[in-house]
Amino acid sequence: MQNPTQIDPIRFEVIRNALVEATEEMASALRRSAYSTNIKTRHDFSCAVFNLDARTVAQSFSQPNHLGSLVETVPRALARYGPERLGEGDGILVNLPYEGGVHLNDITLISPVFHHGEAVGYVACLAHHVDVGGGAPASIGAFREIYQEGIIIPPVKLVEGGQIDSDVFDLVLAQVRAKRETAGDFRAQIAANNTGIRRMNALLDRMGTDTVRRYVDELIEYTDRRTRAELATLPKGVYAAEGCLDSDGYTDDPVTLAARVTVDDDGVLFDFTGSDPQRPAPVNSTYAQTHSGAAFVLKCLIDPDVPVNAGFYRNVRMAAPEGTVVNCTEPYPVVGGWETQLRLVDVIFKALAQAIPDRVPAGTEAMICHSGFGGTDPYRDETYCFLETIAGGYGGRASRDGPDAVQPHGKNTANAPVEETELNYPVRITRYELVEDSEGPGRHRGGLGLRRDYLFPDHEASFTILADRERWGPHGLFGGLPGERAHYVLNPDSDAMELGSKVTVQLAEGDVVSYRTCGGGGYGPPEERDPDAVLSDVRNGKVNLERAREIYRVAVEPETWTVDQEATANLRSDSTEEQGRDA
Amino acid sequence: MTDQYRLGVDVGGTFTDAILLNESTGEVRTGKVPSTPGDPSQGFLRVVDRMLRQGDVAPDAVRYLVHGTTVATNAIIEGNLARTAFVTTEGFRDLLEIQTGIRPVLYDLQFEKLRPLVPRYLCFGIPERLDFRGGVLVPLDEDAVRRVAERLCEEGVESVAVCLLHAYVNPEHEQRVGEVLREALPSVPVSLSSEVAPEFREYFRASTTVINAAIRPVVSRYLGNIQDRIRGSGIAGELLVMQSSGGVLTFDAAIERPVFMVESGPAAGVIAASHLGSSLGRGNVISFDMGGTTAKAGLIESGTPRVTKDYEVGGTAGATEHGARGSGYPIRTPVIDLVEIGAGGGSKAWIDSGGILRVGPQSAGADPGPVCYGQGGTEPTITDANLVLGRLSPDYFLGGEMALDVEGARRAIETQCAEPLGMGVMEVALGIIEIANSAMVGALRQVSVQRGHDPRDFMLVAFGGAGPVHANRLAAELEIPTVLVPPSPGTTSAMGLLVTDIKHDYSVALIQRADRLDFEAAGESFGRMGADGEAALAREGVGPGEMAFLYQADMRYVGQSYELTIPLPDGGVSPHGLPAVIARFHEEHERAYGFKADDEPVEFVALRLSAIGGISRPRARELAGSGGDLAAALKTRRAVYFAESGGPVDCPVYDRYGLGPDFEVPGPAIVEEVDSTTVIHPGYQADVDRYGNLFLRRR
Repeated sequence: MQNPTQIDPIRFEVIRNALVEATEEMASALRRSAYSTNIKTRHDFSCAVFNLDARTVAQSFSQPNHLGSLVETVPRALARYGPERLGEGDGILVNLPYEGGVHLNDITLISPVFHHGEAVGYVACLAHHVDVGGGAPASIGAFREIYQEGIIIPPVKLVEGGQIDSDVFDLVLAQVRAKRETAGDFRAQIAANNTGIRRMNALLDRMGTDTVRRYVDELIEYTDRRTRAELATLPKGVYAAEGCLDSDGYTDDPVTLAARVTVDDDGVLFDFTGSDPQRPAPVNSTYAQTHSGAAFVLKCLIDPDVPVNAGFYRNVRMAAPEGTVVNCTEPYPVVGGWETQLRLVDVIFKALAQAIPDRVPAGTEAMICHSGFGGTDPYRDETYCFLETIAGGYGGRASRDGPDAVQPHGKNTANAPVEETELNYPVRITRYELVEDSEGPGRHRGGLGLRRDYLFPDHEASFTILADRERWGPHGLFGGLPGERAHYVLNPDSDAMELGSKVTVQLAEGDVVSYRTCGGGGYGPPEERDPDAVLSDVRNGKVNLERAREIYRVAVEPETWTVDQEATANLRSDSTEEQGRDA
Repeated sequence: MTDQYRLGVDVGGTFTDAILLNESTGEVRTGKVPSTPGDPSQGFLRVVDRMLRQGDVAPDAVRYLVHGTTVATNAIIEGNLARTAFVTTEGFRDLLEIQTGIRPVLYDLQFEKLRPLVPRYLCFGIPERLDFRGGVLVPLDEDAVRRVAERLCEEGVESVAVCLLHAYVNPEHEQRVGEVLREALPSVPVSLSSEVAPEFREYFRASTTVINAAIRPVVSRYLGNIQDRIRGSGIAGELLVMQSSGGVLTFDAAIERPVFMVESGPAAGVIAASHLGSSLGRGNVISFDMGGTTAKAGLIESGTPRVTKDYEVGGTAGATEHGARGSGYPIRTPVIDLVEIGAGGGSKAWIDSGGILRVGPQSAGADPGPVCYGQGGTEPTITDANLVLGRLSPDYFLGGEMALDVEGARRAIETQCAEPLGMGVMEVALGIIEIANSAMVGALRQVSVQRGHDPRDFMLVAFGGAGPVHANRLAAELEIPTVLVPPSPGTTSAMGLLVTDIKHDYSVALIQRADRLDFEAAGESFGRMGADGEAALAREGVGPGEMAFLYQADMRYVGQSYELTIPLPDGGVSPHGLPAVIARFHEEHERAYGFKADDEPVEFVALRLSAIGGISRPRARELAGSGGDLAAALKTRRAVYFAESGGPVDCPVYDRYGLGPDFEVPGPAIVEEVDSTTVIHPGYQADVDRYGNLFLRRR
């Protein structure tokens, strides 16, 4: 039976569209009125609508990581605060990591939606604030415990009856470095929620509260049905894989992440047992962060057309043992949680490659790759903070290459334009280019990494790298080779020095910090790559001649830009013989 | 003196439409010939020839001709582009490869990035560097430019785009690069970012410049060819092209800056709606243009269409509800703000895997078209649903040129939708229309509510073949009080070509806090832009009395990155006028985003000037007589289904050509004309004015 309740499929579609549109309008209001580059240009935020039970009803098209964590944050924050204490025009602020939260920079504003005096649901937006205080500008760094990471905000009323509570606002702003920017971003969050409330009210006026409630319930059931139907088509079995972060910022001990994916009649279970115990270092993911990783993977496995709401999220089943790097407890630091979580997603895909080899990529950049810095702006004589995350290579796929320089998985923030960055912050970007020869070779190669160099011409800045992939590049699949590892280099053109992947350095005037992110892993043996594709890569300077010959076994004629077919055939038959001997 | 004429020619994918206006009498003629995609100038010439012959108009009586064309967009979509090179600052060669870094889709593991329009081996970094104020950090290495020129020559490059960092503040290095390249490669056009789109954010400026360069040879050949043939036919009047922003450009200017005409075709429809509104004293209008594959919504406030600079071409726009940002090539030239969605007459209805009825975005297009066309279409479409519901006539489609197969449409809806859903055919056909309508309501909301406008303050102007079929219901949903359906809605777009002003847009970056504004510098900039605009208009034969200049500034709170365009008093901004400008900004900000911050500092980002050559608007022709007998216009009656009536209604069908001034047509009713059908729902009525316009309103 496809239509179990008294649901008009037409009205259903109309309400579903209206709900998504409400979240998009929220996002548009937030982006356009925000102050920090991270929010306004890089889109590091997300918006969602919830029903009265704090179950997700609709989400904006934005950061998958946030979306999966808002599902955890909102109900728990409301439960802790007490929904009965919320009146019309109120809004609560929260960033409590161990209770459904993520890292401290991601602050959520939750507002109840009232319709003719009756509470009917909630709207919420989460934004990554560029600075929340703590031990280094942009609030990222290798801290030992959460208290060094910035301001911790339990659910607290920031907006009451439509007015900002200046006591709370001032207390929060007193903790942060870039006060004016942060204040502007908070106002933008309020604008977003107000927009959502207006739109929800318009919908309720048109359709009636009871109707909308009934259809929202059905929307959730519909989503659940479709999600389960899609998951039922996956090959049953147990698939496991492991992966390692380089180090934790204090010791060189790699951080092991384990994923065991069980596909059975009940759907998919993600079990992360076997991942390392939590550490007093920036490598711990909260429960909500890990949950959002599992949710991201699950969403990639089903028809993209299935809506994302509570009906989908109830199918995210996971086991993340408490006290480990995938579910840390107070007071373990959380700032590096997204690094761990993004890598965990790569590990899950590696496991799933055994089940659905045609659908998952080889290893991707799989790190947030934070670049954060700050100091005193010599032109404006005020404290400034800057944060961005750098793209890297995506993994090769069964039928196509991995794209060069993209933001993989749950991160999907735009880059900060060089001109905008230089106009607003006292830094100069001296290079922004692909890293040649960084691809993981394969039948379908991985994408190239990205280089971005920061020069501080006229002041001493504090610079934090919070990233990974410095020791090992992303994994290849089915004979594909790993991508080139990342490099973080101080003063690349004079006394070049490799910095770690999780470090804060005090820069002198004229210092340069150079990021070169990793390439994606290759898929399939490189000597099976289409020689014309190799030719194109060589001609475009993405892969050098020698690499083409040695790894891909293709002889390129650089004078005529052709493939020497005969020489290539010889190279490739030699390589087959070599492989035969190795076996 | 003999009568003078204006001629508009709109080349579309299927038809080439023309419209001929007698400037003295206001008389309008329209014509249609099949387009000739192999060489569009053939269809162009044919329709021009036909119009002049039918109207008995001498070629030299054509004062000017305005062309609307999708040649630029099609070149991008079809990849019919010049072999283009990209020259930038050393260290930034990969701007076109890196793009914005974001994926257009969130959960698709097989996603692809946008394919750069210039291969990496034709991208070159040149040693030079400016700081954010335009100061020289590294002088330009001219020898390096010459070496690049040699490579371009060897590679047979046909067009070059130059975009250096911070050239929007200081264009000197770019200009010098342009000189060196032109010297070395005299036959290769060079596009400079500081001339094409002098705005900050390098990737967007570079992308705009590269598109300009890549389509330049194609557009230049196309327009050059038409120009030669038109001149050969004896037409000596000015040749103009509709640009994306709604103004017109001379052919010569369009050849230099073709990126300004990528949305030439759709812009004409909005301009037409704007004109119709203004001529009736209604400045606030939402335009709704629905054709075979898409529906387009635009907003006109106080007689001025909304223009945006946040635009992408060649992407999957309209294919998803989220617009798939990042799926197309960004351009930063002014484009009339349109929301286009995949809901046209040919959009298909289907059942998704969760058992829910969906409509679009897949379209049966014109070939095979809807099931009822009987040309091999098998999947039910919006047109099929309208036919089954009795809203379209099976034997008066395109004036009876094509008979429609009602039974086929009915069967398709029954077997493919109604049976799987366990619902009745009529119920599902109504559902298809309601779902399509909800998507169109979404598009109308996007251009109004999302931009801070209340649709209830606007009039809806509905046109395109399918617009008037749906407009009544959409307006009801949004509580828009009035819908205007102009006569001959199928040619309304082409009419837009003849009512637009000649317009040149200029801008300069000026990033300064309002409280520290350098009035002298601002005044100089406006003076320079005004002089350029005046000279350009004069070259085009616009007399001083017909010129107008529009002053605007892009402003924001210090620290924001999105600007609002605020109108300035004539002449620009003075110390005396500044407070009013700032107050206006706060007001606009509150309207757009729901808050203002009076204590926050405000800054200017760019100054804009539009030089406008006013033209006399055609006067609408009045219908003869007044009053009369509605019954005389009755063609027939048939059963029509409306959701709100719960069953079939015996509905009168009127011939639009029989409706005289002051007629009132009570709904439910259908009004048919050759190129469209107007549906009047129960509880509504249509009033006819003396120009033959239909106004739909609640009874």
